[in-house]
Formats: sequence, structure tokens, C-alpha cells
Amino acid sequence: MIELKDLTKKYGDFEAVNDLNLCVKKGEVFGFIGPNGAGKTTTIKMMGGILEPTKGTVFIAGINMQDAPEKAKSKIGFIPDRPYLYEKLSGMEFLKFTADLYGVSEDAFQATAYEILKDFSLADWGDELIESYSHGMKQRLIMSAALLHDPEVIIVDEPMVGLDPAAIIMVKALFRKLAGKGVTVFMSTHTLKVAQDTCDRIGVINKGRLIAIGTTEELQRAANVSETDLEQVFLNLTNNNERSSDPI
Amino acid sequence: MNEVLTLFKPRIWPLKNRGLSKANGKGGARLILLGTFGLLFWCGIFAVSWRVLIYFKGIEDIGDILGYKLLSMMLVVSFALLLFSNILTSLSKLYLSRDLLLVHSLPVSSYKIFITRWVDSTIDSAWMVIIYTMPVLISYGIVYKTGIFYYINTLIAMLCLAAIASAISTLLVMTAVIFIPASRMKSVFILMGILSFVVIYLAIRLSQPELLVDPEIFDTVMVYITSLQTPSSPFLPSSWIYDSIRSALAGATSNSLFFTALSLSFAGMIAFVLILLADAIYFKGFSKTQNAPARLFKSNVIGDRLFNFLPGPVRSFTVKEIKTFLRDQTQWTQIFLIAALVVIYVYNFKVLPLEKSPIKTVYLQNLFSFLNMGLALFVLTAITARFAYPAVSLEREAFWLVKTSPLSIRTFLWIKFFIYYLPLLILTEVLIAATNILLQVTPFMMILSTLTVFFVVPGIVALGIGLGAAYPDFKAENPTQTITSFGGLVFMIACAGYIGLVVLIEAGPVYNLFMAGIRNKFISLSAWIWIIGSFGLVLVLSLLAIFLPMRFGRRRLSQLLI
Repeated sequence: MIELKDLTKKYGDFEAVNDLNLCVKKGEVFGFIGPNGAGKTTTIKMMGGILEPTKGTVFIAGINMQDAPEKAKSKIGFIPDRPYLYEKLSGMEFLKFTADLYGVSEDAFQATAYEILKDFSLADWGDELIESYSHGMKQRLIMSAALLHDPEVIIVDEPMVGLDPAAIIMVKALFRKLAGKGVTVFMSTHTLKVAQDTCDRIGVINKGRLIAIGTTEELQRAANVSETDLEQVFLNLTNNNERSSDPI
Repeated sequence: MNEVLTLFKPRIWPLKNRGLSKANGKGGARLILLGTFGLLFWCGIFAVSWRVLIYFKGIEDIGDILGYKLLSMMLVVSFALLLFSNILTSLSKLYLSRDLLLVHSLPVSSYKIFITRWVDSTIDSAWMVIIYTMPVLISYGIVYKTGIFYYINTLIAMLCLAAIASAISTLLVMTAVIFIPASRMKSVFILMGILSFVVIYLAIRLSQPELLVDPEIFDTVMVYITSLQTPSSPFLPSSWIYDSIRSALAGATSNSLFFTALSLSFAGMIAFVLILLADAIYFKGFSKTQNAPARLFKSNVIGDRLFNFLPGPVRSFTVKEIKTFLRDQTQWTQIFLIAALVVIYVYNFKVLPLEKSPIKTVYLQNLFSFLNMGLALFVLTAITARFAYPAVSLEREAFWLVKTSPLSIRTFLWIKFFIYYLPLLILTEVLIAATNILLQVTPFMMILSTLTVFFVVPGIVALGIGLGAAYPDFKAENPTQTITSFGGLVFMIACAGYIGLVVLIEAGPVYNLFMAGIRNKFISLSAWIWIIGSFGLVLVLSLLAIFLPMRFGRRRLSQLLI
């Protein structure tokens, strides 16, 4: 469902992402972890069609992002880490705006918009201006907008930032539920507990290179860690990366 | 097409949401106030241009030529303004706006995003120029007794001018962003600044304004008239608009239609080229813009040690303030623009044909010097509005740092004050001294104007900092947004009142002193009391202008909840 081939992004001489090859299957929740500045957001931006790769290709549902960006983007529900929302629109108007651009019909919008807002506990706020929303509410609104057109792929950067514990539990359950329906979720996060609880597989990126990929257990073995805690796995893998640059 | 219309919705829907906004009550009153001032200004322009055109019409033989030359100059300047304004707006709308990440993640072609952004940028950069050239153009219509065709044609022609200027600027911006690495966005701004400077300079030079006041440099009246009739340049779009409007004024409808059609077809052609180019390179440029911005000057010009004598928190804010100011690319273009305006301002004094005036030169020189003091202070007000007034708002979301730091709001505001006070004082004194030297004024006038400015500058800067603190806008994307707000208007009015009062209070005593000097007369005791009282009053007024707004700003900012 998601395929990254030799994906590379250079900022001048600096290689933010270096020859990234990755395949995420339909219905899989994939976690993407790595230290600050490892290249997670750059990768996600290239996958979302916001940033042009220096080299390599992004395929979303078999569609080449460079060749048919609009078609590829229509398959994605994109949730950035620091979303910009039009503060002078109401929540419902923002949903209508995105629905129109994703080609959601009026009937489908009427049928789903309120339900989605309700799922994200925003039903009472739908007609309020976004400027009056808290950070967590804005995050929930952008998630609602991303789900409105029934995307085949969800790409989400730091989904839990600003969410309260109840919302975190809800979002984790939602991702699992969507995956059960065949939606592919690609999630970048620093919250290792979230990755551990939610993801089928996890990829570790460091200095622009994918240094490890697998289930939590596979990563524990690769990192020679016996504990179930992913934190130690993460530390071992990223520290060892100085010695080896090949994916494990 | 539907997608393009949908992309406009975030711009249109907020208009109907005004009632929902928390700030609506205040916003309505402010809108009425701003609208009233705008309307008064519009009427003022209309009255002045109507009066000038009636006067021109009354001059035999060359009256019409003068009127047409004025029209030509106005159109060249409007075109330059539109070009400059659109360079900044399109750069911001196409590459730097905060919602671009969201918009580009949507399944819409980049050229469609471009079209909405370009139209948006054209409207934003052109509406003010179009609205405020209209009173001049309407007065032409009335004075030249034209029919309805003139008004419709002129409106279409002006819209063409706006579209052409916007398309040319956007072409420049799109190309510059591709060729200059976007990580050097600051360089792009500098380039734009230089380009703007050149455009404005050329526009003014091309319109040859000095020809209007100095017919004697020509051998005969005929050569003078012929020179006035010379068109600016056949390749300038503003010349086509000029030809169209001029023909409509003269009743040559077919000729007018030809030039309007020429402008329309060029606007259509350049818009088509622009969209084709956007389809090819706009996304590439946007993608490049997201690269981490590289610093243009890596050396640490402002050494931290330079301010070691200051207490810790004061030092840290001072160093931070100076560094962020120098590294903020949005400041650069404005600095270039101000430099250009200052050069032209001083140059104007150089070419003033005072010796040809029937009034005694020494009197005129010193009268101009006195009036120039007020004029230079208005220039200072404009610069303060651009730099010092937004200084508090520019803290943006980082203002919580100020609130939580062990630094009082009072100290914070005084740091801001001194950072802007020193360079603005130097600038104004240089401006005054340079123009006084060019005017060859008496030493008395030189001392008087430099001293007055010395006392008035801190008042204006304090008004900027104080009122900027009283009406902060931490959500403004750029400094120019803050000055068009209610607080900005209050600042402008307060400064105009303050400068007007100073000039008014000093006018009488200065005249007395100056005339006594010229005629070698003694000044009576009562006159001395009046003179000392007046200068004392200016001093008191200046002290009030420093401390009252700073206190007002401190109080309002202290009460502000973040």
C-alpha cells in the first residue's frame, strides 16, 4: 500500500533522508521512530507530496506520487505534527472545505461530518470558530478532517501531541480499528509506548537511514535487549548506528 | 474550476463569520473608524486633484499637457508601487504562508493552488492602489467632462495594470526562488529589496518630475512643451494605460479601446504564461522553500561581550533583540525601501529651484528648513511605524518568555525603546543636517532644527513602543499587519498631533528670532518670555510624549493574559 524506493532528500550538502526503502502492507499500522532530526518529518512530507524528493519514488496505493500527485494524495489522510488551521473558520466549515477538495459528495458529508466530530468529542464545538479551540481540539479536528474521505492510507506525524489521556486511548483504538478495515497507517512518533501498543511493525530511522525494521520482538532481538521496554531497544539501536549503517 | 473556487473559501467564509468572533464588538467600531478615515483621505485626494486639474485647465496652451504629464507620472508611480507591493505579497502568499503545508497536502494540482494564491496576492497588493488612484482619475473625468465610457474604460484599464504588475512580479518571484536556493530565502528578500529600489528609482526618473518646475533650461517654450509631451516609454504597460485613459479623456474612443485591448491581451497572455510556468516550477520552488534556512552572514556581528556592562536579563534581551532584528529577513526589504526614500527625499532638496523664486532666497531657504523639520519628523513617524511600533508584537508566541522572565514589563519596554531610539535619532539628525546643508540655511536654523528633532525623536519612538505594547498583535504574520490595526491608527494620529503641535508652538518664536537676526533688531522682554515659554512648552510636551505612552503601554501589557 505504501512503498518507498531509494527515497533520498538532500538539503544542500546535508542528507536528511538517505536511500530509504520501505514497504507497508494494506491494513498494517507502521510506526516510524527515531531521534530528533533523524529524518522522520522529511520522510512524511515526501510521502504526503509536500516535499519533492531529491531522488527515489513514493508509491501510495500503487500510485507514483511524482507522476500523479493529486491521485495519490486523494488516497491519503494526512495529519501533520503542527497543523495549520484557518482560525476564522468554524470546525464544521473546515471539514466542509477539506471534504470539497477531496471530492466528498454533499450527501456523504452530511452523513459523516457530524458523526466524525462526535467520535472526536467535538460535536458541540462544530459551529465555533477554530480560534477558540485548544491545541488538543485542533489536533482532533485535523484528524476528523483526515478521515472524512475514507482514506486508504493515513500518514500521521506525532499523533498524540497535545491530546489528553482519553483522546490518546481513543486514537490508538481508532488506528487499530481502521487497520482492521484495511486502512494502512504510517505513524511517526516519539512516544515509544504508543508505537509499542499500536504498531504491527516499527522502523527506526537515524541520520536519514533506516537502521532497523520489524516487530517489537524482532527489534529487541536485533538490539540484544531482553526487556519488553522499547526505550532500551531504541537507545541501543540508535547508539549502535555509529558502528553500522546497514539496515538490520 | 471547482477546486479553485473551494480554495478561495477560507478567504471568503471568515467574512460571514465576523459575528462569531470574540473581538467582534471592538472590531466593528474600529472598522467604522478606519473606514471613516479612509473615506476622508479618499475625499481629500479627490478635492486636491480636482483643484489642481481645474488650475491646469486654466493655463493656456500647456494646461492640458501638464494635466496629461501628471496623469503619466501617477500611472508610472502606481505601476511601480504595484510591482513592489506584489513582489512582497506573492512571495509571502506563494511560499511562506502558514497554511501552505495543509493546502499542498490536499489532492489539488499545484497550478490550481497557484491560481488561487496569485489572485489572492493580486487583490491584496492592488486594492489600495486602485482605490486611491480612483479619486484622481474620477476628477480627470469631471474636469475633462467625459462620458460614461471614460469611467468604465478607466476601471478596466486600471484592473489590467494591477493584473500585469502582479503577473510580472510573480514571474520574478517564481524564477528567483528556483534559481536562488530557497534555503537562502533571506538572499531572495535582499534581491527583491534591491529590485524594488531600482524599480522605484527608475519609475521616478522615467517620469522626469523636475521638468515640470524648470522650463528655463529649455531654449524655447516649444522645446519645453515637446519635452512634456514625450511619452515615458512605449514598452511600459503603464504607458498603454496612460494612452488608453488619455484617449478616452480626449474623446478618441477607438484609440482608447485599442490601448485597453492591448493591455487586456497582454494581461491575458502574461497570465497564461504565468500559469504554464507555475505548473512547471511552482511546486519545485515551494518544496525548496521548506529546506532549513541557511544563514547568510555566519559571523557573529553583535558580540555578546559588547553588552557585558548591562545586568543579566537586560543584556540577554538586548542581545536577542538586536540579533533577531538583524536576522529577520522581513526587515531587509523595508530597510532598502527606506534607504531609497531617504535618498530621493534628500535629492529633492538638492534640485529645488529656490533661486528662481520671486521670494527672497534666504527667507525661503530657512522657511523650507523649518517646514522640513516637520516633514522629516513625519518620515520618522513612518519609519517608527514600520520598525518600533511592531517591536512588541514581534515577540509573537515567545511573549510568554517575557512574562515569565525576571524582567519587569517596564524594563522590557525601555530596552525596546533604546534599541530603536538610537538608530532613529541618528537617521533623523542626518536627514535634517543633510537637507539643511543642501538648503544652505543659517546656523541658527541648523541648531534649532537639530535640537528640536533631538527632543521630539524620543517622544515619537516612545509613542511607537508604548502604543505598540498597548495594542499588541501576537498573531500577526508580518510587521506591516500590525500597523494597519486600530493601535497603528492611534499611533499615527498621536504622532501627527504631536508633530503639528511642536511646529505650531515653535513657528511664532522662530519667526521672531529669525527676522530679528536678519534685520539686526533687538527682541523685547515680552517676546523673550514668549520664546522661552514656547520652547519650554515643547520640552514639556516631549517629556509627556515619552512617559505617558510608555506608562500606558506598560499598564495594558501587564494586564494582558496570554
